Amino acid sequence: MTGVALTAAQAGLVSCEACQLLARPANPEEPGYCRRCGEKLEFRRHASIQITWALIIAAAVCYIPANVLPVLNTTQLGTTEADTILGGVAFLYTSGSWPLALIVLIASVMIPLGKLVALAYLLITVQKGSVKNNHDRTRLYRMVEFIGRWSMLDVFVDTFTVALVQLQPLMSVAPGTGVLFFAAVVVLTMLAAESFDPRLIWDSATPTPVPNG
Amino acid sequence: MAEEPDLENLPQAVVAPKKRLRVSIVWIIPILAALIAAGIAIQRIRSEGPSITISFKAAQGIEAGKTFIKYKDVRIGLVTAVELSEDYSKVVVKAKIAKHAAGLMVDDAKFWVVEPRITLSGVSGLNTLLSGNYIGFHAGVSDEDRRDFVGLDEPPPITDQRGKQFVLKSNSLGSLGVGAPVYYRRIPVGQVIAYNLNAGGKSVEIVVFVEAPYDNFVTNESRFWSASGIDVTVGADGVDVHTESVTALLAGGLAFATPDFVAAGVHPAAENSEFTLYRNRATAMKQPDPVERRFVLYFNESVRGLSVGAPVTLYGLRVGEVAEVGLSLEPQRLIFRPRVLITFFPDRLVGLMSQRAQATTGKAITEIPEKDRLRTLRRIVEERGLRAQLKTGNYLTGELYVAFEYFPDAPKPKLDWNQEPLELPVVPGGLANLEAKLNSILGKIDNMPLNAIASDVKDAIATLNQTLKDADVLVGRVDAQWVPEGTKTLQELRKAISTADRTLNNADAAFLSKDSPAPQDLRDTLQEVTRAARAIRIFVDYLQRHPDALIRGKTEGKP
Repeated sequence: MTGVALTAAQAGLVSCEACQLLARPANPEEPGYCRRCGEKLEFRRHASIQITWALIIAAAVCYIPANVLPVLNTTQLGTTEADTILGGVAFLYTSGSWPLALIVLIASVMIPLGKLVALAYLLITVQKGSVKNNHDRTRLYRMVEFIGRWSMLDVFVDTFTVALVQLQPLMSVAPGTGVLFFAAVVVLTMLAAESFDPRLIWDSATPTPVPNG
Repeated sequence: MAEEPDLENLPQAVVAPKKRLRVSIVWIIPILAALIAAGIAIQRIRSEGPSITISFKAAQGIEAGKTFIKYKDVRIGLVTAVELSEDYSKVVVKAKIAKHAAGLMVDDAKFWVVEPRITLSGVSGLNTLLSGNYIGFHAGVSDEDRRDFVGLDEPPPITDQRGKQFVLKSNSLGSLGVGAPVYYRRIPVGQVIAYNLNAGGKSVEIVVFVEAPYDNFVTNESRFWSASGIDVTVGADGVDVHTESVTALLAGGLAFATPDFVAAGVHPAAENSEFTLYRNRATAMKQPDPVERRFVLYFNESVRGLSVGAPVTLYGLRVGEVAEVGLSLEPQRLIFRPRVLITFFPDRLVGLMSQRAQATTGKAITEIPEKDRLRTLRRIVEERGLRAQLKTGNYLTGELYVAFEYFPDAPKPKLDWNQEPLELPVVPGGLANLEAKLNSILGKIDNMPLNAIASDVKDAIATLNQTLKDADVLVGRVDAQWVPEGTKTLQELRKAISTADRTLNNADAAFLSKDSPAPQDLRDTLQEVTRAARAIRIFVDYLQRHPDALIRGKTEGKP
C-alpha cells in the first residue's frame, strides 16, 4: 500500500480496541468510552511510548541478573552446583550437544534480548517520527508479540525440573534467583509489547499529528 | 476505504473527567526492578571475598567452579579457574574466597589437595569419594594478608590440634611413614608428621606431633623407640617378641616413655626438643651406666655366637656386656686369638646387691681409688680365682655369653697388671670344656690294653664254661641219688607226723572229755596241792614269828 491511507485518527474518529467499533470521539481531548462494549476509547494507547519504555527498561534491568544469577541449584551428593543460563549453554556446548545449546541460547538469551532491542528500536523510530520501513516494523512488532508467549519455556522447564528432581538426599534441584528475574524479563517484555501501540508506526507517515501520550 | 463513512450516524462518545499524568506510574516498574537488581548486586559485591591464587605441583581432581576450599569442613571458597603457570611447571588455581573467610588469607595459611587416602593406619578423606577432591585449608597465625599461595603436596597431618612437635634422630626411617602413630602406654597420642634426611644424609630426622593433653608426658628424659612391626630379638636371653599394636604391626609406629629410674629433674620437654630414636624398647629404656670399665679377654676357643651386646654375667647376673669381638695376633707365637672387649658396669653390680649395708659396701668398692681397686681386683683374680668363661646362652641359636665365676683351683695367671684395658684370665668354658673332657676320656680309652683284656676275657669265659659243665654234672648226680632218698624220708616223716597227731588227739580226749576220770583226778590232786601249800605258808609264817620253834617246838597259849 503505497498510497497515503486515511487513518481513523486523521478522520477524527476513534476505534474501540476491544470490539473494533469505529466511533466519533466525545471530544478530541477525551474520546470517552465505547458505546458498544464500554471500553475506554483512545485515539492511541494512553502513554504508550512512555509505558513501553518503562517496561523495556525494567526488563533490561532484570535481564542482567537473570543471566548472572543462577537459575538452578543442583545438589548432587552433598555438592551444590549453581547453574546460570549461559553456564547451561556452555555446558551443553562443551558436552557435545550443540543443537541443544543453540536452542537454549536462542530461546533463553537471544529472544528476550531481541525483544528488548526490537521494542526499543520501534520506540525510537516512532519517537523520531521515522517513516521508513513501516511494514517491516509492523511485522517486527507482530513477531515480538507472537514470540512473547513462548518465552516462558525456560521458566517452565525450570519449575518442572525442580518439581520432579527431588531425590533427597542423592539429588535435589532448587530454583535460583535468576529464574525470577528471567520470568520478570519475559513478563515485562510481553507487557511492553502489549503496551506498545503499533498504530504509532503509521502515524508518522501521515501529516496530521495525532494526540498521544 | 473507498466509500465515504457515514459520520453523522456514528454514536457520540461520553465525556469523562480528564486525568492527566505527565509521568506514567508505570515507571515504578523499572525503578523497582533496578532497585532489586541493584540490591542483589550490592549484596553480591558486599559478600564477595578476595580472589586468591594457589600454585600446586599437580591439581588432581580440581575443577573450576566445582572444587571448594574447605576449612573445618566449611566451604570458604570456590575454585574459579585452573590454569598452568607461565612456565608450564605448575598449576595455578584461582579461587574466590567467601567474605567471612577473607581474614584467614594470611601469610602462613596452608593449602593442599584433599583426596581419598587409604593407608594402613586409616582411611582419610573418604568424603571426597562422593564430593570430589577439595582443597584443604589450614589457618595461619600471621597478621599479614596474602593473596598468592603455594599449595602443599602432602596434607599437613595436624591442622589445628594443640600439642607439641618433637624431633627424633635416627639412623634410618625404618618402617615409619607420615601418619605413623605415636604411642604412650599403648595409647595413640600423636603421629609422625614429617621426616627428612639431615644435611649430610647421614641420619634421619623424624618430626612427631604429640597431642595436647599427652604432650606433657614427653619429658626431657623421655626415650623414644621404634614400635614398628614386630620387634623380635634373638639373643643369649632367648627370643623376645614385642609389638605395640596391630596398627603399629602393619604400619609402623613409635612409642615413648620416661624410664622409672629417672626421678629427679623431670619436666615436660619443650617444643621441637630433640630425642634419639632407639631401635627398640629394651635399648631405649636401658639404664645409662655412669661408670663403665673395660676389660679384655683372650680366649683360646671359637667365639662364634658371641655378639656385641651379649651379656657379661657374674654367677648368671648381668653386670656388663660385650663391647667388641675381634682377633689379636700374638707376635711371639704367631697365633691368632679372639680378643673380646667387655664393658663392666660397677653400678649394676652394686644395684644387684640386695641389702642396704651390702649396697654401701659395694659402693665403697666402686669408689675406691684406682690403685686400691687394681689391688683388690688382683687379689680377687689371683687368690680367689675369678675367671671368665664362654658359655652357651641358647643352645638353639648357639648364642654365647661371657660368664665370670670363681675357680679356686685355677692356676695363677701371669698377667700384665698395668695394661689398659686390663686383661682378665679365662678358662675354657661351655662346649670347649666339654670337648676337652671328652677328648681326655677318648684318650684314656685309646690307651687301654684292649687286646689283652679281650684274651683274658676269653680265658675267663672258657673257665666259666667248664665250671658250668661241672655244676651240671653235680646237679645230675643230686638228681639221681638224693631225690629218691628224699622222697622216702618225706614219706616217713609224714607217717610220723600222723602218729603224733593221733597221740595228741587221744591225749586231748583223755584230758578234756567231761566223763573221763583224768581231769577229776587232776582236780583232786590240785586241791591237795593247794592245801599243802597253805599249810606250808602257815608253817613258814609261824616260823618267821617264832624262829625258836624250830628248837623249842610249838608253844601253846601265850608265846
